[in-house]
Parts: sequence; structure tokens; C-alpha cells
Amino acid sequence: MVLPRRAALYMVLVGLVVLFLSPFGWLLITALKDPSELRVLPIHWWPHEPSLGNFQQALSFWPYLAYARNSLMVSTLYAVLATLASAWAGYGFARLEAPGKRIVFGVLLSTMMLPQIITLVPTYLLFGKIGLLNTYMPWVLWGLCGAPYLIFLFRQFFANMPKELEEAAIVDGCGQFRIFWRIFLPQSWPVIATSLILSFSWTWGDFIAPALLLDDDRTTLAVRLAKGYFTQHGEPLSNLVAAGTVMYVVPVLVLFLIMQRGFVSGIATSGLK
Amino acid sequence: MSTTGQLTTPAPAPAPRAVAARGAGRPGGRFGSLRQRRALSFYVFTGPWMLGFLALTAFPLGYALWLSFTNSDGLSPNPRFIGLANYREVLTDQTTLDSLARTGLFTALTVPLTIAAGLVLAVMMNQSMRGRGVFRTLLYLPAVMPPVGAGLTFKLIFDRDSGAANGLLDLFGFNGVSWLMDPYARWVLIVLTMWGVGNIMIISLAGLQDIPKEVLEAARVDGASPWQSFTRITLPLLSPVLFFQVVTGIIAALQSFAPLFISLDASPQGMASVPQDNFLFMIHVLTEYFADGRYGYASALLWVLFAIIMLLTAIVFRLSRGVVFYSVEPEAARKRPRTLGGK
Repeated sequence: MVLPRRAALYMVLVGLVVLFLSPFGWLLITALKDPSELRVLPIHWWPHEPSLGNFQQALSFWPYLAYARNSLMVSTLYAVLATLASAWAGYGFARLEAPGKRIVFGVLLSTMMLPQIITLVPTYLLFGKIGLLNTYMPWVLWGLCGAPYLIFLFRQFFANMPKELEEAAIVDGCGQFRIFWRIFLPQSWPVIATSLILSFSWTWGDFIAPALLLDDDRTTLAVRLAKGYFTQHGEPLSNLVAAGTVMYVVPVLVLFLIMQRGFVSGIATSGLK
Repeated sequence: MSTTGQLTTPAPAPAPRAVAARGAGRPGGRFGSLRQRRALSFYVFTGPWMLGFLALTAFPLGYALWLSFTNSDGLSPNPRFIGLANYREVLTDQTTLDSLARTGLFTALTVPLTIAAGLVLAVMMNQSMRGRGVFRTLLYLPAVMPPVGAGLTFKLIFDRDSGAANGLLDLFGFNGVSWLMDPYARWVLIVLTMWGVGNIMIISLAGLQDIPKEVLEAARVDGASPWQSFTRITLPLLSPVLFFQVVTGIIAALQSFAPLFISLDASPQGMASVPQDNFLFMIHVLTEYFADGRYGYASALLWVLFAIIMLLTAIVFRLSRGVVFYSVEPEAARKRPRTLGGK
């Protein structure tokens, strides 16, 4: 009775995995196809002459690497600043007491639920008024403030560290800043890594903020890629879109696979509050 | 760059203060002063975030509220105060009401669907078996796909001429359809939403793994069927996690602009290409802002959405009383299955 049930479970799971991965498969197949194979019936389920030429063309059709560099800059800038700032604030919430802390923490938790998109458009209008459009300053500012979700991650981690750590440091005359910088931060590399990867992927994947805030030449790969590849006659070049998309998503997927453990447990904590 | 300088100043501040406090606060110092220093440190550490919340969240929200009482179009220097006229228009504008109803339907459909599917996957992943980690990773992978990447991939699959979906239809002798156009586009949107269900699976799985094994074991010994222990033990103990997912799911679905990603052709300015069936509330808001330049009216729409989200969240919290079990301390949990077994 046990064995067939196990076998059935495996079959269902394998079926689900195939279903969930099939979009990636189609993306890859399209990226390897010759343009002449795109609109034929019956459809070619596998390219007759798979070639990597599309990738080369996708890179040079428009300055792909320049947009990738923009994405890399914005994402790295935000990831580094947001991680540091979130660790900073998370330490405060985890290890320090002050009147009004409960209220401040309540505000933090409710901003985790606050719809981001609702503040984005008014923020865009305000940034326009103070001349921050088409610069990377908005990401610097957002980074310096930390992200509520990351602050929460750091808080959870710091709160579980033994009290003796800081007591000994206080006796030795260490200030809170040094305790944070020398003792707590170096111990928290799993959270730092999770936070860096999360915030990098958010920004790398973000479409609406760069679409609003940046002009066509300074914008990120996500926004440029969304405009697609077209011939001079306005015909879409699906094979180039596929190749460009593969190159755009692979860094994020690889980062995730490398960091899988910390990443997944980090996501999971958000549900356990 | 001057703004950066201003914002970073709180960061290095505590170092010199800590040095200064070394003499004052040490063994001879009063306990009160230590507490005061800790309180001050708390605000130094959380200050940058609070400042950011005020400047980049609260202030923009307030600014949108002010705009919503004006006829601002973003161009004319002096927008006129027009009172509640924008809000009156919200109630009579057919496009607004239609997009709101559509968003309600989208929410009512996708939230239960994704949570149920995520729970089923999590239960399967919670069985002890070889290769569990691999299955979990692969099912979760689509959830890390950047939205633009997911949207473009779905456009390729559901492309009329070269997509796999029509290829499959052709294989079975059916004619291809225009998946990204009106009667079908909504289903593509729902499939796209379901593709990212791994996110919910992971959270439910973490919740399942937190349920003490002894409780389920006790129920089994007492003769409870797997279904009984699932509905009477697992589900109640998992209810805080599921509740959290309902709340965040509703918030996410109401403000979703996912249709944009399968109708991508340009910037948010080119939103006209979103088919009618997928014209959700947030798409409507973005259109009013950027295609029509009606900043005042669009801000009123944003605030209506904000109010609806707050209201729904409050209602869900109220309804959850008595359904959601928050006390999961082992003692309380251990008592429940005993009474179940007695039946």
C-alpha cells in the first residue's frame, strides 16, 4: 500500500515540475530557432538547426550591454545601500529599547503591507519637482532608508543572538555603533547575503519605477527589453526577444540557485511573523 | 549628491558619542543614563528609516491626497481646488466602475486559487521523500522570474503565429486563437499568476513544518484518519499562515498591474494595448496619469484604492477572529487532538 502511493506522488510531482518548467523550455527553444522556423505549421518543437546566433544578434541589435550596465548599476547601488541601512535599523529594533518603540515597530510592520505602487506615482511627481528624474538618486534615497521587509529579516536575526555578546562589549566600554559594526554585523552574513540577493533581484526585475523615472537612454534592461525587437517594417523578431530574455533572466535565476537555502528560508520567515 | 550627504549624517554620529559616553556611563554611572543612551541609540538606528518613511511614503501619500482635490494636469502652474468633484466622478465614471469590478473578480478568483494550490503543493512537499529539495527548488523557480521576463515568455508561448499554445491546438486539429486578445487574455493572465504559486507554497511549507510532529502522531494513534487530522489539526494550526496569505494576497491582487507584462510594447504611456478584459484598476490609474495627464482625478483613484485596501484588510482581520488560532504553544495544541480522538 505504501509503495504505490509513493510512486503516485512522484509521478504527480514530476508532471508538475515539467509543467512549471515548460515556459523556460519554450523560451530556450525559441531563442535557438532560425527566424524562418518561427511561423511554420506544424510547429517545430525543436529547432532544426539550433544556433547561438540569436544571442549575438540580440546583444548588438540595440546596445544591450549598455542597458545591462545601467541595470547592474542601479541594482548594485540599491542592494548595497538597502542592505546596510536595513541591518542598521534592524539592529535598533532588535536590541535597543526606547519609549515609543512599539508604535514605531507597528508602523514598520504596516508599511510591509502598504501597497508600494500607490506611493510610486506621487513620488515620481515629487522627484520631478526637485530634479531627480533621469538620475539614479531615487534608488540611493530608497536604499538609504532601508526596506521594511529587509529590516524585519535583520531584526529577527539580531533578536536571536545571545545577550552576553553585547553585555561583555558594554562592560568593555563599546558604544552601540561599535557593537553593531564589530560584533553583530560580522555574524550576520547569511542574512546579509539573502538581503543583497533579494534587493538586487527586486531592482533588476523592477519595471514600473525605471519606466517612470528614467529616460530611454539611461533606463534599465527590463524597460528596454519590454520594448522588444522589431524589423524596420515593424515585424516583431521573437527569436531575438527570446534570446534577450534568456540573458536577462539567467543572472537572477542563477543567483537564486546559488543562494537557494538562505533565500528560501528568508522568504518563508515573512509568513511566520 | 548633496541629498546623500544629508541622509548619511545620522550614520556616523553615534561613534563619537559612544566614545564620550565611555567615561560617564561606566561602573559609577547611574542606570538611568544608560537607559537614556539606549533610547537615544534606538532613534539613531531607526531614524534613517523613519525619515525615509516620512519623506518617501507618508509625504507622497499626502501629496496625492492634496492633488485629488484639485484639477491638476501636471502642466498648468496653478491647479484649482475643486473639492470633492474628482471623488464624485469616481462614482459615476463607467470605466472606473468596470475596472474596479474586474479587479474585484480577479482578486476573488486568484487569491483563493493560489492559496489552495500553494497549500496542496506544500502538503506534497511535506512528505518525507528523496529529492524533496530538488522538487521544491524547481517548483519555486518561476516565482523568482522577473515580471518582465515572465511576461515576455508568456507572450512567446501564446503568440498567435509562433507560440507553443497554438502549436498544441494545431497538433489536435484545432485552429489557433489570438490568446493575447479579448476573450482569452484573461485566462493567460490567470495562468501567469498561477505560475508564480511557488512563493505561496514556500510560506505554507514553512508553516507545515512548524506543526509539532507529536500532535499529528497522537491523533493517528487515537485513530484519526489522515483527512481528519488534516482538517482538524493541520488546518487550524496553519490558519495564521493562511490568514497572512489572504491579507497579502488581497493587497497584491487589488493593486496588480500584471496585465501590463503580457501586453508589453512600450512604457506605461502605451497602456492602450491592454485588452479590455485585463484592464484592471491600476492600469486605469496609470492610464489616467500618463496617457490623459489627469493627475487630480488619478490621485483620487489612488486614494479610493488605498481606502478600499485598508477597509478590506480591516474586514478580513475582523472576520478572522475565532477562525484563526494564534496560540500554538505546545500545551494548548496537545489538548486538542485528545478531544478529537474521543469522538
